[in-house]
Amino acid sequence: MAKIIGGIGTSHVPTIAMAFDKGKNEDPDWKPLFKGYQPVARWLQEKKPDVLFFCFNDHATTFFFDHYPTFALGVSDEYRIADEGLGQRPIPPLKGDAALSRHIAASLVDDEFDLTVFQDLPLDHGLHSPLTMMWPSKPDWPGRVVPLVVNVLQHPLPKPSRCYKLGKAIRKAIESYPQDLTVAMVGTGGLSHQMIGERAGFNDEKWDLEFLELIERDPERLAGMSIQDFMRLGGNEGAEVIMWLIMRGALRPDARKVHQNYYLPMTTAMAVALFE
Amino acid sequence: MSYVFDLERSARGLRLNRFLHSLTQKHVRALFLKNPDDAMQGLSEQEKDMVRRLDWKAMQDHGASFFCLEKLARTKGVSNPEMVAHFRGESLEAFLRTRRVPGAK
Repeated sequence: MAKIIGGIGTSHVPTIAMAFDKGKNEDPDWKPLFKGYQPVARWLQEKKPDVLFFCFNDHATTFFFDHYPTFALGVSDEYRIADEGLGQRPIPPLKGDAALSRHIAASLVDDEFDLTVFQDLPLDHGLHSPLTMMWPSKPDWPGRVVPLVVNVLQHPLPKPSRCYKLGKAIRKAIESYPQDLTVAMVGTGGLSHQMIGERAGFNDEKWDLEFLELIERDPERLAGMSIQDFMRLGGNEGAEVIMWLIMRGALRPDARKVHQNYYLPMTTAMAVALFE
Repeated sequence: MSYVFDLERSARGLRLNRFLHSLTQKHVRALFLKNPDDAMQGLSEQEKDMVRRLDWKAMQDHGASFFCLEKLARTKGVSNPEMVAHFRGESLEAFLRTRRVPGAK
């Protein structure tokens, strides 16, 4: 049977990909970020999960507002890298696991989560800006991904409690997959940032650190908050941290955080955390 | 709460956002950089003017999604901190002075 071996929470800021692609590992402005991902990369190298289940959002790249899904699951064996206005990043297409995706789609719909499914679509930095910090893309990716795209752009957004429940349903789906494979959950987004309006540039480190505590010890409390709470505390765009709740919902309630890094260089607080 | 991108704002900004989103295609970017008016044919005069002037705040107030504006910014070589500074009504230099690592842009 398939099994979930742990989870990762991570920011997906596009400049993380930029810093990676420009090789800024030793640049003093970026070194604290790269260092923060090393324990996660080591963990993945040791545990070798077959699949990373990625909860992330598209940035009006692949999906547009003429038809914007709330929860959309990728069911392909391959996903191209999207062009976001600068051409494609120099990384290979992502390998998917269509059979596992199909099983998860069926299980979630059976659990009354009526998802959108998509295939043969490119994926943007929401997934692969953190991925390249954790997983080598050369000579090719060491495993497969299952992408879950979440609407955190166009309100109404899914409720935090719904995200947490979806995570629990994903656990049930993965654990009922007959093939022996290992899966690590990844929840992306945040932490505090606001990109629009007069409050653009807003951050709150105190709230971010509290969030990083609660996501480990008391995710139910986060799940009980409203989107408006998350926007007030972490900025309009910071409310996307509800995607960490999907990841956390899929882990055991007693999962423990074994690593955390926090770095706030510019407009968005960049965090990464590892749970076992 | 201001500037929440909701369905009303999305409907208002649909035409402009559709143009901004089209810049994810290489041939549209090339056309826009060479002859902007040809690429902006579907827009109103008011919208074309905002785009030509790269008036980020006017486009935002008109209903542009930040994430669609990013496509125009990448096409024109403008960074996110520049856009954020514009929304705050300050210069990039003034905004960077409020940041912990001004070089990380």
